[in-house]
Amino acid sequence: MTTIQTRERWSASLRFVALVLIVIVFFLPLVSMLVTSLKRMDELYRVPARVFPEAAVWENYGLAWTLVNFGKYLINSIILTILYAVPAVMSSAFAGYAFSRFQVRESRALFLVVLSTLMIPVMVTMMPLYMVLARAQFVNQRGLWFVWGLSGIPFIIFLFRQFFSTIPASFEESARMDGAGRFRIFFSIMFPLVQTGLIVASIFAFQWSWSEFLMPVLFLSDEKSTLAVKIAMSYADQKENVLYNIGMAGIVYYTLPLVIVYFALQKRFVAGLLAGGLKG
Amino acid sequence: MEGIRRIGASPLERHKRTSFYIFLAPWLIGFVLLEVVPIIWGFQISLTNRTSFPVAIKYVGLKNYLTLFQDADILGSYWVSFVYTILNTLIGVVTGFIFALLLDRQLPGRGFFRTILYFPYMIPLVAVGWIFRIFLERDTGFLNIVLVNLHIIPSGIPYMQQSPMGSILMLSFWQAGWSMIIFLGALSTVPRELYEVATIDGAGYGRRVRHIMLPLISPFIFFQLVMSFIYAMQAFIQPYILNPRPIRGNWVMLNPPPAETFFVMSRAYYIITSQHKFAYGLAMLWVLFAVVLVLTILFVKFGGFWVYTEAEERK
Repeated sequence: MTTIQTRERWSASLRFVALVLIVIVFFLPLVSMLVTSLKRMDELYRVPARVFPEAAVWENYGLAWTLVNFGKYLINSIILTILYAVPAVMSSAFAGYAFSRFQVRESRALFLVVLSTLMIPVMVTMMPLYMVLARAQFVNQRGLWFVWGLSGIPFIIFLFRQFFSTIPASFEESARMDGAGRFRIFFSIMFPLVQTGLIVASIFAFQWSWSEFLMPVLFLSDEKSTLAVKIAMSYADQKENVLYNIGMAGIVYYTLPLVIVYFALQKRFVAGLLAGGLKG
Repeated sequence: MEGIRRIGASPLERHKRTSFYIFLAPWLIGFVLLEVVPIIWGFQISLTNRTSFPVAIKYVGLKNYLTLFQDADILGSYWVSFVYTILNTLIGVVTGFIFALLLDRQLPGRGFFRTILYFPYMIPLVAVGWIFRIFLERDTGFLNIVLVNLHIIPSGIPYMQQSPMGSILMLSFWQAGWSMIIFLGALSTVPRELYEVATIDGAGYGRRVRHIMLPLISPFIFFQLVMSFIYAMQAFIQPYILNPRPIRGNWVMLNPPPAETFFVMSRAYYIITSQHKFAYGLAMLWVLFAVVLVLTILFVKFGGFWVYTEAEERK
């Protein structure tokens, strides 16, 4: 018994050390981002290069905001995220509910269709859509994000199906006896019980639309474009030389909302992912 | 109508079917408008000579597809995507599995490690691309600065120039958190008693992993392989940003990446948006779509033979 315990303790220490090393390696690119964002441009090219900046250049963070109209793109990103995330979460929850509760003959086949949409490369649908809509002069429409949301997220539909399946049928039956309609049963009884699923779905939807590059670049003019597009194009001076330091400061701003949401909700998020994935 | 009445004979069944379609309706609308219809449009356009100027469009049959297979650049892109997909899948799945193994059992700071290792997966790809570009740059890159200051290397290494593919593959390692989460879920389904029994029988760690853990989580490994394959085939923006040539501001997306990393999606984007060959680009996308479809079906149908299932055991 004691040998097993000692061995277990040794193994735990070894794993701990390995993980600390991995975390250090994982942090390097992030440290690089922060350090670069605080250097002057000429300091970046100085030989021999120093690891940390001589003096932190906080102005980079101001310039990241003013050099492009950051506020405008931020608002655009927020609008599109809401426009996408609300229907995406609702449509996925509805679909997950349908598949878990109302199994009819064609449910199985339709569920396979949901899963098989994972295999469709994004460009195979987005490029023709762009060509047809551009020709029909139907461009620069934010409404597209709403329709995109309706098409749901296959993984999240799967997740919601799992979560709804764990709720006993008796919950709804008693409500139905009392004469509650479909939607009242869904919103007042079922929906509050899948909060974890809701958190996972919202984080996913937020992350997806916040990161989406192809759609805004194809469908929206600069006036309605998003942060993802601006960040991809990066910051440059008049001669089109890329400004690494200010670009990194911009990326800090850009990723901050995701970082905050992730760290605030990570316990329930990870728990939800683990619970949903179990019966894979 | 006839069919519906026959199937849904009982009122209960009919009520069920109505409910099913009411709740599925939003998804169905989105699916038809954003997937089915554009896919059909895309195939139709790929059979024409359409460019960005919609004049004198005519049907050319499979001509675009036939030209595609004689175009050395495009065949090169398929090859490059194929190589990247294999390497990316291997790196992602193996890294995720090792992380999950390290985190599976009790450990101080387990939650912290899990949070940190998953974290890079949350960062948008465009940001990750730029973070790595600046991390790997020869003169100004943080990695070289640290290594030179620690006297590990005498002078900066031009990582992106030496191996554009290698530098893009670093992202697969950094973003392995997703695969780690799937494997952590998988490992938690393996009953602890099985390990204990095996340990008492004298099986070492390697044998427990090989004979108990791997067979039991094989469905998850399989799922990971399929998903990772599909996603890697779609890689598109990474080679534009992690371009070994100097990048100039607004022209990031106009600079074609080097041949070594000019993935199918990146080239299709370039052909459509920069060269304005709409139909040709779509034909290229359709070939990839067909390949993904066929490979996934083959994979799911015949690749599953090594996946352990309870049902097989009972036979």
